[in-house]
Amino acid sequence: MSVTELASKLYDACLSNFPSDHLFYQQDLLGLGIVPKNDLPLLLQCTQSLVDQKLFRLLAGKNDRLAWKLISREDADKLQNLSPDESLVYNVIHSTGRSGIWVRAIQTRTNLHKSILDRCLKSLEGKNYIKSVHNVKFPSRKMYMLAGLAPSEDVTGGAWFTDGVLDANFINSVAGYIEYTVSRKSWYEVPSADGPGKKRLKTGAGSVAVKQESGEKQYLPFPAGYQGYPTASMITAAVNESGITPVRLGEESIVQLLQMLCFDNKLIALSNGEVYKSVKHPEAVKAAQARKPGGEDADEVDYLVKNGMTEAPCGQCPVFRLCAPGGAVSPETCDYFDPWLEKALGF
Amino acid sequence: MTSQNYAELCTLLVEDSFGELFGRIFATLQRYDRLNLPRLKFYSRLTDRQLHHGLAAMIQQNLVFHYTSYDDGVTYYEANQRAAYYLTRSGKILEFIEGRLGQYAATLMSAIMYLGHASVSHLETLPELRPEPPQTNGINGEHEHEHEEDEANGEHEDQANGIDGEHALSEQPYLLHPTLKTLAAHGYILRVREAHFQSYTDTVLDAERVVTARPDIKSMKGKKLEEAVFEKTLEIVKEKTDGDLSHGLKHNGVPRGAKRGRGAAQPNESKVQTEQADVDEDGEEDEEENEWSDDEMGNDTVPMEAGSGLVVRVNYEKLDVALRNCRFIGLAEQDSSSVTAEVYESLLRRIEYQTPRCRDTVEIPREGEEGEQYSVPIPLSAIAEDVDQQLDLSGSIGPMDISQPFSGRGKRPLEDGVNGTSHEGTNGLSSGASRTYELDQHLSLLAQPPHNLTSKRVVGGLITWTVEYRHVARTLRHLELEKMIEARYGDVALRVVRVLHAKGKLDEKRLQEISLLPFKDLRQVLATMQTGGFVDLQEVPRDAQRQPSRTIFLWFYDPDRVASSVLEDVYKAMSRCLQRLKFERSRLREFLEKTERSDVKGNEEQYLSEGELKMLEQWKAKEALLFGEVSRLDNMVAVFRDY
Repeated sequence: MSVTELASKLYDACLSNFPSDHLFYQQDLLGLGIVPKNDLPLLLQCTQSLVDQKLFRLLAGKNDRLAWKLISREDADKLQNLSPDESLVYNVIHSTGRSGIWVRAIQTRTNLHKSILDRCLKSLEGKNYIKSVHNVKFPSRKMYMLAGLAPSEDVTGGAWFTDGVLDANFINSVAGYIEYTVSRKSWYEVPSADGPGKKRLKTGAGSVAVKQESGEKQYLPFPAGYQGYPTASMITAAVNESGITPVRLGEESIVQLLQMLCFDNKLIALSNGEVYKSVKHPEAVKAAQARKPGGEDADEVDYLVKNGMTEAPCGQCPVFRLCAPGGAVSPETCDYFDPWLEKALGF
Repeated sequence: MTSQNYAELCTLLVEDSFGELFGRIFATLQRYDRLNLPRLKFYSRLTDRQLHHGLAAMIQQNLVFHYTSYDDGVTYYEANQRAAYYLTRSGKILEFIEGRLGQYAATLMSAIMYLGHASVSHLETLPELRPEPPQTNGINGEHEHEHEEDEANGEHEDQANGIDGEHALSEQPYLLHPTLKTLAAHGYILRVREAHFQSYTDTVLDAERVVTARPDIKSMKGKKLEEAVFEKTLEIVKEKTDGDLSHGLKHNGVPRGAKRGRGAAQPNESKVQTEQADVDEDGEEDEEENEWSDDEMGNDTVPMEAGSGLVVRVNYEKLDVALRNCRFIGLAEQDSSSVTAEVYESLLRRIEYQTPRCRDTVEIPREGEEGEQYSVPIPLSAIAEDVDQQLDLSGSIGPMDISQPFSGRGKRPLEDGVNGTSHEGTNGLSSGASRTYELDQHLSLLAQPPHNLTSKRVVGGLITWTVEYRHVARTLRHLELEKMIEARYGDVALRVVRVLHAKGKLDEKRLQEISLLPFKDLRQVLATMQTGGFVDLQEVPRDAQRQPSRTIFLWFYDPDRVASSVLEDVYKAMSRCLQRLKFERSRLREFLEKTERSDVKGNEEQYLSEGELKMLEQWKAKEALLFGEVSRLDNMVAVFRDY
């Protein structure tokens, strides 16, 4: 039996007996019983032939032992057509998997000249073997990875990035949806007077009842220790069902967003972040969201609550630091007080 | 120690309330710190006569500390900035007293404030404190004093008062003593001690001198000596400055004359509830054997102290506690129902009675370095007693389980609450236990994040509630800062700051991941905030060369640092408002002088033209606005410095 035949037999045996990403050591290959009498030189010849055919990839395993990995026949065909330089580059890119590799790093690892490397990359890209990816962390670096792979979260930055840029609109729409969903579950809506309670109200009619009816929906807080607040997984499910996202969002992404909402003072995490509760009740959330696109008029109302410093002209004054009685900027010559007084007093 | 802005503000306040002479003396003392009379005279360039009069009056107002040293017998004078600053808070305090204890108490308080400190016998002679017929309800009726200041708010008719005074002579101490007792029981006023007229440091030094001279201390050495001296000194200082008058005036931890619930807001309630008290001549140690009857006397006319030799002054520390509680209630109102806030108020009021001051340390402790400090625990049953029995507790909290129909919750369906009084008989008495449970529910609601306004403790099987004061005070502080940040830099900045505050120091990338903001916005916001001094950057070089490329940059937000710089800004802003007011006044000087002429004053309609009347009205609005702004700024000072 020639070495080539033996090699192809070995390859087939490997393919059928092991998963495709198995790391083969010498013992594994000998253990298949293809190579007679555990003849090591012969095994070496076989593996070398396979490596030449690009069916095996040579790797350094633990303790600097030789190890091999299988390459599928289709990929091997691809690789066979590559020039040695190209295949070198391909292997380097392949080795980094889903995280991609920076062009400069390829250069240092392959020791190729820049022009050669560029040519290789161009041809590989032209053959659609590799693709260039955008890394969020290093937006200026040109990075490559195999065409068939999806970039990892580290590279893309997670669900909230589109083409390496934080997708603010997307985030806002999901955040708005979440806030509303959570707020509906964290406030008790008093059954409206039109409901079953109406009859009783009529009989015992008092001024309070009338007042309640005429007003908007009434919301009450739940008592402490209430179990019905939504958890992160419930919220994730709700978001994915709602159809506002083109892709399914993972729970980690949603948790990330929930935390952001907490920092925005919109949600409150209860019992160590397991469940979430909204600060405003649904009507208020709706109103606030409706106001947003309107723009300018929104900000006055949306402020936490004003305090002395934000109202007084001094709080906004750009030259406050320079202000001193008798100075170039002084309370006597201040340009801000008069308009402020006029505005506040209305004359 | 004191900053330029603070000193400037204090001088302005003194000047604004007491005129230029006081301002001059005060400013000089602030600039040169401690001075003896010749030096003071030299620096202030005032005549002996002016100086003597001014100093005497300022000591009366407690604006100046004086201290005569044992060694050389020279008297030194020192400015009391605290007292000067509290001038701006007086309006707030009077408003609070009026709301809590009625108008008469406020009038009394303002009289005491106006006099700085006052003996009870002197208060008895004041015309405005005598019972008046309802038509002359002059609030600021302290005008028989011939200080040259404060003409601005005098709407007092002299003739009317004289008549009133004579008429009222017979029933003179009618309201005065019960009200004084009520104020004393609440701790709002205290006995003036000699030590109050010298600065705290002097008192401490004096005490130390006394302690070290004691033979038993002299025999000690080293660390033991230090400890003993420290301990004994504190004891002496406490004894010397302690002017607590509430001792013996409290009944089960509730001051006499304290109103319970909301329904009892009438001013005359206080005198009805005030029980007879026989405070001892010295009124301090031997109160225990003094038994006083529990039955409520109709009109308590027993004088505050038999000899009326008692001298009282305002206890600002205690009032700060009360005002701080008001802020907490405001915080509670923001995100819970009014019912919950009212329950909270009851709890806080109970705590207030037993809290002498806002905190024990002089300086605000640094963030993260102050321990948890819980207030006195208040048993749930006591709160239940205090809360207005008419208050509908159940209508403002949702059911525990949403699937249950709300009205089927057993104890008290919503409709009953809505229907009001029809069911009152049944739930007023029989459902006492469920009412307590509901109270507990309200308090639990307050205990929840984000503010954790209350916390529950079970002491010996008894449910009690406390307030973690330091925590809530911190929350208030952060809220004030956040308000400023939001107003100046927008909500994006607010998010960034809150992230930094929660997570500590972060590099830009991590910050972006958490705050989910595009790099561009983030950098912009961080940069502007850094210029404003709200966030800052720390460099951590990775090697000794300190190259920027090999350096980690961490953003951080230090609330302590920000708060102290904002506090300075607030002082400055307050000064600017007052200075502007002065300027506005000088612009209208001639007109204002006309309105203050003795014949015009009170008869404005008659002497002023329509245009002038309008101008006067505008001026008054302007003045009110600027003073209002100062008082709003004072709210911030209180949060950053006092709470």
